[in-house]
Order: sequence, then C-alpha cells, then structure tokens
Amino acid sequence: MTPWAGYASSGTLGVMDEPDVPSSFEAFRESFAYGERNDLNFKFMKSMTDAEAASFLQKLLHQIGDTYDTGDAVPLIETVYQAQVDSYSPAPDSPPPMFSYADGPLAPVETSLRNTRAGLLTASGHFVSGDDPNPFGEIAMTQERAIERSEDFLSSTPLLSEIPVATPATELRVRHAGYDIRSSLKDPNVTFPIDRMKEARDSGTIGGLASTFFSFPGITAQGRLRNVLPQWVERIHEEDVDVMLLVPV
Amino acid sequence: MSVGHVARAIEASGIPTVTVVTKSFAHRASEMSIPRALAVRHPVGRPMGAPLDTNRHTYVLNAALDMFESTTVNGTIVELPEPYRPVRFEL
Repeated sequence: MTPWAGYASSGTLGVMDEPDVPSSFEAFRESFAYGERNDLNFKFMKSMTDAEAASFLQKLLHQIGDTYDTGDAVPLIETVYQAQVDSYSPAPDSPPPMFSYADGPLAPVETSLRNTRAGLLTASGHFVSGDDPNPFGEIAMTQERAIERSEDFLSSTPLLSEIPVATPATELRVRHAGYDIRSSLKDPNVTFPIDRMKEARDSGTIGGLASTFFSFPGITAQGRLRNVLPQWVERIHEEDVDVMLLVPV
Repeated sequence: MSVGHVARAIEASGIPTVTVVTKSFAHRASEMSIPRALAVRHPVGRPMGAPLDTNRHTYVLNAALDMFESTTVNGTIVELPEPYRPVRFEL
C-alpha cells in the first residue's frame, strides 16, 4: 500500500497504510468504532442508521462552510455533541438494560462541606508515572495498543490505580481504550480533577482531602468489576473520607 | 455503567457519593438509580469541561459538591444547562 498521512487511533498524525475503500456507507460509518478509521469521538456513528449518519455528516459539512467565514467552531461542537447524545440514548424499542434498579442506597451526609474530607475516584484510566498497572502484563502499553485490546479490557477485571494527592499533574499518565484521551493529555483535570479538588480544599470549600485518589479504566467487565468492589470499598474506607466524588468519562 | 456499580457499592457502605456524568450517559444514572448524579452538557471524555477551562471545572465541581447538601432522595439527577465551550490555547 502507498504510505498515507492519516490519523492513528490515538488521534496523532502519522504515516500509515491507507485504509481500504469501504464496501458500503454502513461499513464506512462503522469503521470509526474500532475499525480502520477508529476515532473514539465519533464511534457513536456505528449506532446510527445510514440515514441518520448521512444527515449528520451533511449538516457538519454545511457548518464547516459557515466556519470558514465566522471562525466559530462552537456550532460544530454542538452538532457533534447532540448527535452523540442522541446515539447513546436508548431507542423506545430497545431491550431492557442489563443493570437496572428501581431504587438504591442513599447514605446520609453527616457534616457540612467545610468540615468534610473528600475523596476522588474516576474511570478515566489515570495512573502515576512509574506505577503503570501494566494491564495483561504488557509493559508500557500505548494508547494505540490499548485500543487494539479493547475487547480484552471488556472481558477483564479492572485494575485500580492509587494516586497520591500530592502527585503533580505532570507526573500523571492516562490510557483508556474507550474515549479520546487527547483532552486529558492536555489537562488531566478534564477527567481527573485533582487540581480543582486541591483548590476546593485550599479555599475552604471542603474541609480536607483523602491522602490518595483512585482511577481505573472504565472499559471493563461489569461482573468482574462487581466482584472486586468489596476490596475497593474497603480501601476507600481506609482513606477515612466523608464523601466521594466519582467521575466516569 | 462501571461507575454506577462503584457508586452504589460505596454508598451502600455508608459513604455518600456524587457522580458527574456527561449527558450521553445520564440515562445510565437513571437506570441504575445512582444516588446523586450531576449531568453536564459536555462531550463524552470531557466531563469537567475543556482543557485549561479552570472556571468551568470549578463550576462543575462546586455544583457536584452542592449536591451532597441538597439531595434528599436516591436517584436525584441535576442537569447543568451550560453547553461545552472550547478554550483556545497553544499546543
């Protein structure tokens, strides 16, 4: 194949093999979800109908024409955002969700926020440099490699990374096969708000912070996750926190 | 969905939780009766806001923290109306 300047699955530009011409529009839109044109910002096109995807792309191209003149990308972002929301929303004739509960626990909040010690757990896939969880025993797994192994993540037990609150943002690393990590690479607070939590503590909005925060890649086997949750909850209690902020991606 | 399980387990152990969810997954919060959820009109993968948009991050964090004091019923979902906004910065 001819070398082709294309975008790798991580979103980085590089020379790669030119993808095959898709056999149909359906194959084209589906190739954005872990296929030849993988793009985690647009993998939702796989769940669109051909008509929906065609309308979405037509609208996007039309708005790009406006952006030539206005320089304003906000309408583009809003169009993609709305298409994403619509695609992830269950259709009226969808089968019932695998996990559905009519009710659930609600623990009482015992103290005011100003006297509260808060913790953080995210599903963003962050870890500290030098403390890579090395999923599946792979050393220094890249984001591209994680995406290649997305199915393995979906059938495996998640690994919980411990992140000392004193960790500088520059020492944070992130890897996750389920979402585009480029924003998190620019600023970890997009998905792991460690600096914002410290600021809330320093301003007195909250009384204090756990000594350790937590993160795991949320693309995981749900049953296996539930099996390890008792150990995770026990570890969280060791942090002596009053409340926990949770951030999925 | 993963954090839905986490939220329910932590809450059941006695520690209150607030979960920040992007609007695309707000229906999951409802289906799983997550104790307290803050839904944000941000794209998937950017729950707190754009990179370096510290004002938006802080706004989202404060709204989430407020839910610890304001929520009285399991399954409460508060939606912030502000759309995502990009921030210009040099790579």
